Amino acid sequence: MNTMTQTFRLTALAAALMAVYGMALAEDNGLAELTKPDSSVSLGLGNWTKDRPQQGIYDGMREMGAYGLIDADVVKRNDDTGTWMTLKARNLGIENREIRGEYLRQGDVGVSLEYSRIPRDNPNTFTTRLQGIGDTTQIVSNSTTTPFRTVNLGTTRDASKLNFYKSLAPNLDFKLSFRHEEKSGERQWGRGSAAEFAVEPIDSTIRQLDGVLNYTTEKLQLSGGYSGSWYNNQHNLVTVFTGRLNNAPTYLSQPLDNQAHRLFLNGGYNFTPTTRATVKLAYARATQDEHLPTKDIAGLSLAGSPSSLDGEVNTTLAQVALTSRPLKNLSLLASIRYLNVEDETPVNRFVQTNAACASGQCVDNTPFSYKTLTSKLEGTYRLTDQYSLNAGVEERRQDRHVPVSNANGVGGTDTQRVVPMRSEVDETTLRMELRRLLSEVLTGSVGYLVSDRTGSNYTFAAGPGNGSSNGFTNISNLINPINIADRERRKVRLGLDWTPLQALSVQLIAEDGRDNYDRDSDRPFGLDEGTTRLFSLDASYTLSKAWQVNAWYSYDHSEAKQFAARAANAGGGAAIKRYKLEDTGDTLGVGLRGDVTPRLKFGADLQWTRTLSKYDQQINRLAGGAVLPANFSGNLPDIENKLIRLSVFSTYAVDKHSDVRVDLIHERWRTDDWTWMFADGTPFTYGTTTDGTTVTAKARQTANFAGVRYIFKFQ
Amino acid sequence: MKLLGKALRVCAFAVLAGSLSPALTATAAEKEAPKDIVLKGDAKCTSCHDENDSPEALRIGKTKHGTVADKRTPSCTNCHGESEKHVKEAGRGSGPTPPVDVGFTKKNKTTSAEAQNASCLSCHQGGKHINWQSSVHAQRGVTCASCHKAHTGHDKVREKETQTEVCFACHKEQRAQVNRPSHHPIPEGKMSCTSCHDVHNDNPKQLMGDTVNDTCYSCHMEKRGPFVHNHQPVTEDCSICHNPHGTNIANLLKARPPYLCQECHSHESHPSQAAGLPTGRTTSTTALGTVGRGCMNCHTNIHGGNSTQNSATAGRFRR
Repeated sequence: MNTMTQTFRLTALAAALMAVYGMALAEDNGLAELTKPDSSVSLGLGNWTKDRPQQGIYDGMREMGAYGLIDADVVKRNDDTGTWMTLKARNLGIENREIRGEYLRQGDVGVSLEYSRIPRDNPNTFTTRLQGIGDTTQIVSNSTTTPFRTVNLGTTRDASKLNFYKSLAPNLDFKLSFRHEEKSGERQWGRGSAAEFAVEPIDSTIRQLDGVLNYTTEKLQLSGGYSGSWYNNQHNLVTVFTGRLNNAPTYLSQPLDNQAHRLFLNGGYNFTPTTRATVKLAYARATQDEHLPTKDIAGLSLAGSPSSLDGEVNTTLAQVALTSRPLKNLSLLASIRYLNVEDETPVNRFVQTNAACASGQCVDNTPFSYKTLTSKLEGTYRLTDQYSLNAGVEERRQDRHVPVSNANGVGGTDTQRVVPMRSEVDETTLRMELRRLLSEVLTGSVGYLVSDRTGSNYTFAAGPGNGSSNGFTNISNLINPINIADRERRKVRLGLDWTPLQALSVQLIAEDGRDNYDRDSDRPFGLDEGTTRLFSLDASYTLSKAWQVNAWYSYDHSEAKQFAARAANAGGGAAIKRYKLEDTGDTLGVGLRGDVTPRLKFGADLQWTRTLSKYDQQINRLAGGAVLPANFSGNLPDIENKLIRLSVFSTYAVDKHSDVRVDLIHERWRTDDWTWMFADGTPFTYGTTTDGTTVTAKARQTANFAGVRYIFKFQ
Repeated sequence: MKLLGKALRVCAFAVLAGSLSPALTATAAEKEAPKDIVLKGDAKCTSCHDENDSPEALRIGKTKHGTVADKRTPSCTNCHGESEKHVKEAGRGSGPTPPVDVGFTKKNKTTSAEAQNASCLSCHQGGKHINWQSSVHAQRGVTCASCHKAHTGHDKVREKETQTEVCFACHKEQRAQVNRPSHHPIPEGKMSCTSCHDVHNDNPKQLMGDTVNDTCYSCHMEKRGPFVHNHQPVTEDCSICHNPHGTNIANLLKARPPYLCQECHSHESHPSQAAGLPTGRTTSTTALGTVGRGCMNCHTNIHGGNSTQNSATAGRFRR
């Protein structure tokens, strides 16, 4: 009895205390978990068993070895003031690290600062005697006494960004962002004068400033501001010697400092809840007026040629759009867009090797301007509850300024241009899509696009190479350049969205596109036909409350048929070449996620990608000469790339605030890409007696990764 | 001792009674005027959709929408409508619950895309979303909720490393392309679709910039020029030669040289060479248009050159 009394006493007391604090605490915790921001910090270590030159191009883990796995996502909010403090860090232990911190008093003021590094490592290895890599003076060696060394090339981008936000009034806010990016490293290049290995030293800065004022009311919205961007290159000229420093060098120009300033105003007005108009206006001026460094080299440049390009490109944009729903089941869009990219750089002569200015003897700078007017009308009509039809037409009219230059600059044929040009290119596109609700669980769509591109007569190119003595007459003008050629495009797209069960959804997409380029006897060369096909199937299935699986497969195929002339040269006879280029891709992805137990989560992802490229070439000689020059193989093998990556992870909840996660990755890459090979499959080597740089690509790369990390979670 | 025991029991009872009594009173009061759980005025909904019924709905508290100190933040009904029929009839009778006025899930088939978007645009029409209605996404029936999840602290589409999962749900061709050997650092999570695309805007291809080139220049500003020696297609559109989503050829080229170059160039001498590989070391330009960098083995400044050298080769991007 005494025990009973005692028990009752304690129970009553506990019940009382629980009633006051415990329940409230439980409720608060439960609610807080659902409604307060989550934070986590994770620390760990991972290891790659082998080098990954191809797969490690961007992820900062090209080399085998151990890497720190450090991530953080800290989000704190003061609920009373609506103030957020966030810190997000990813890959702090790896070269491609990034970190972002933000202070935001929501609806009032905010500032954030972020840093990100993007490495890009060249996957190939270079065994070279080139001296001065990373410098602006380089020497291509022809001395057998200069030792070869193995180098890897790569660049890094280090970007910092500052963002600021301030609400100036209930309808008015201001945003400012400034990005500063340093790019550094070495990029594979060439000496220019001959096919010799050189390295472009990269050391440049990009800065971008954007300021925008947004005014927003229910009816009227305005957004206007300024964008400025500046490019600064620390290297404006690279000098490459072959053999010795006292030999005549090659001067390789570099991109020079340039900048652009843009003012813009964007507005929208709701006339009614269903009718809206928008206007865009922008004006930008881009300039490049740096001193041209090759002008400082005695005797190199044409006397009297300018020492600065004074380059200026002005871009004007004006656009008006109207959207409306005049009927309950009909919505319309009409828009017109005017874009004028006007290169107002003064035309000057930079090369004149002969006063007669015959073909190729004189070169002026060539500013190109493009004035494009695009008008669009599009509508969607819901025919019934089951059918919906979307159709549109787009007209694109482009005036292209084609500078024509000859001896006196007074018209006639263009003695410096090597490709025929058009001053007008127009394209009309019609598009239609019918959607149908086939059943409660199945939606289908079929779309069709037809597009025709044409243009004005071609401006004759009479620059170097436009000969008539090696099998063809005016060979340069026998081509339809791909970007301005007459073209008919047809595209069909089918889509199915099927949800037979609540747990299962399936999506299927099939596309077929055909391009036909107009060729005639006057202009028989260039692309002839282009074909693209895409088939994609996605499925996701919820096996149970705890397990989900999804899978997708994509097949894509593109094919280009191309005609080209070959003038008689180096023993090869004049010929017509017919290329058939094919690219086929198969990609499979499978993902599994599940809870093994309430504390143990498991996931796995499989990615399999295979690409196959084929290069079929037929050479039909017109007269004599060899099919191919000596020491040259025209039979290009297929290229197959294969990647398999299997990733498995598991997370175990040690307690409410702590997880341990294990990651395992198996990655296998195979390629027979011959880009850097001779015909017999040996690595390509530059030059015969000079240079000697060998480029080696690793065809088989298999590596495994194991990582473990501790994750601390809190609110 | 007995007295003490009695006193304790009385105290305990008093505390229990005192603590339960207000709770009971409050329970009665709550039935009349339920309390908000997360958002201002959410009691209308959370009296049913509470942590037991719809815990996922309450996760809106983790988001900017759930930051009630910001007076602009909405209540449930600002987005989902007053939904009187739903409120009155839910849970009563054996029939299905009438849907809310504005639903954002696939289950809710009665809310049109325009109506869904109008709900969001009633606050988010300004700034970046001014041109939403004339964007390709809006014209194809994409809704805000097709991509955004409002009731989660981590909206996948707003985070660089997970964004592509959302975009690739529709853009299958690009999903395959980013897995090609030559690609932007998208699978590595260093770039995302919105690094280049302004998905709420109506620019061509929904790009960030007014043109393809303006978009590319934001990172590749060295290509902006203008150059002493301009290469025409470079000044017009980077995508004439490059596919930014990924290809099998280095530097995102659509085709490898010399095929690519011969899509525009037809000349005498070596530029018209057949494709093929040299059988051994050579300096012959007629044999070096395919191997390595192809035509760019010599025409190394293919995006434009600034050499003033009085030599015809300066104009051919070799200097």
